[in-house]
Amino acid sequence: MGGERAGHAGMMENFSALFGGAEPPPPVAATALGFGPGKPGGPGAGPPPAASTPQTVEDAARKAAAASGPFYLMRELPGNMELTGSTNLITHYNLEHSYNKFCGKKVKEKLSNFLPDLPGMIDLPGSHDNSSLRSLIEKPPICSSSFNPITGTMLTGFRLHAGPLPEQCRLMHIQPPKKKNKHKHKQSRTQDPVPPETPSDSDHKKKKKKKEEDPERKRKKKEKKKKKVGGRRDGEGIAQ
Amino acid sequence: MAEKFDSLEEQLEKFVENIRQLGIIVSDFQPSSQAGLNQKLNFMVTGLQDIDKCRQQLHDISVPLEVFEYIDQGRNPQLYTKECLERALAKNEQVKGKIDTMKKFKNQLIQELTKVFPEDMAKYKAIRGEEPPS
Repeated sequence: MGGERAGHAGMMENFSALFGGAEPPPPVAATALGFGPGKPGGPGAGPPPAASTPQTVEDAARKAAAASGPFYLMRELPGNMELTGSTNLITHYNLEHSYNKFCGKKVKEKLSNFLPDLPGMIDLPGSHDNSSLRSLIEKPPICSSSFNPITGTMLTGFRLHAGPLPEQCRLMHIQPPKKKNKHKHKQSRTQDPVPPETPSDSDHKKKKKKKEEDPERKRKKKEKKKKKVGGRRDGEGIAQ
Repeated sequence: MAEKFDSLEEQLEKFVENIRQLGIIVSDFQPSSQAGLNQKLNFMVTGLQDIDKCRQQLHDISVPLEVFEYIDQGRNPQLYTKECLERALAKNEQVKGKIDTMKKFKNQLIQELTKVFPEDMAKYKAIRGEEPPS
């Protein structure tokens, strides 16, 4: 009996899965691989025995109904879902226009193409100058809940020394060399910050500065004339 | 939908412009500019207050974190949208291919089984209660 049982142990292992009978103790190897009892995982394997995994009452009823038919292991088909991957989901969710807009034509690579009016060098990675959004999310700055205006006493701290900034602090006046577009955005040029005189700038910056100094010179001239005359016809809104 | 962003965009543009002008004043400071500087500093505070007020309108807006990766790298965030759409379409096509292949396989299998086991397949079709699509 013991010998027979041992001899049939291998077959019983598989058959117990099929017939849902008492299971033999699982082999060590199967346990080591993570297979639970009653899950042989071989080529002749069937579904796990109902005794070990009785999922729901409905499943058991269904199995009984299938078992009564001529086909073994016949299961119910999954219900037909209306929306599957076989339909074009982009059309289904009315995203054709968006798709054509973004994928139909070339989208420019740089951030400055998306935000052309933002001053400064925004195309640089945020990690370089500690301006990344990720660092803001991971380590939000600790601040109070309200915004309070700066009082007179506090403003004394903002009394600055006259004169130009030292070289190392002039970061914001470095603009990336703007490519000549087909549509020349002349408006953006007039909005560029006016750099102070810096003798150590490179050639292209000097050329840019010449263009930018002209409106600045005009502005200064106008200011002087305004002070002298006390008013101009085309008076610009200069902050006093 | 776009209107609630217009107000925020406007406030942000004003704020950025104020900061830019602040930078110009500071870059070559003159004592006569002190009043203007003070004004701009206080405008910075009111600007932040105005931006904070816009927050309530936009509390239900969610932004995927991956967009921030693009911005931090100095890339156009529209590229994220483009890549999302492209990936969605590619996956859609892949799944459609799988579904179509499985359907073809099913039909072919039933066809061949019917040739070999005509009576059994007739019973099967009767139990299933419908003609499988060809």
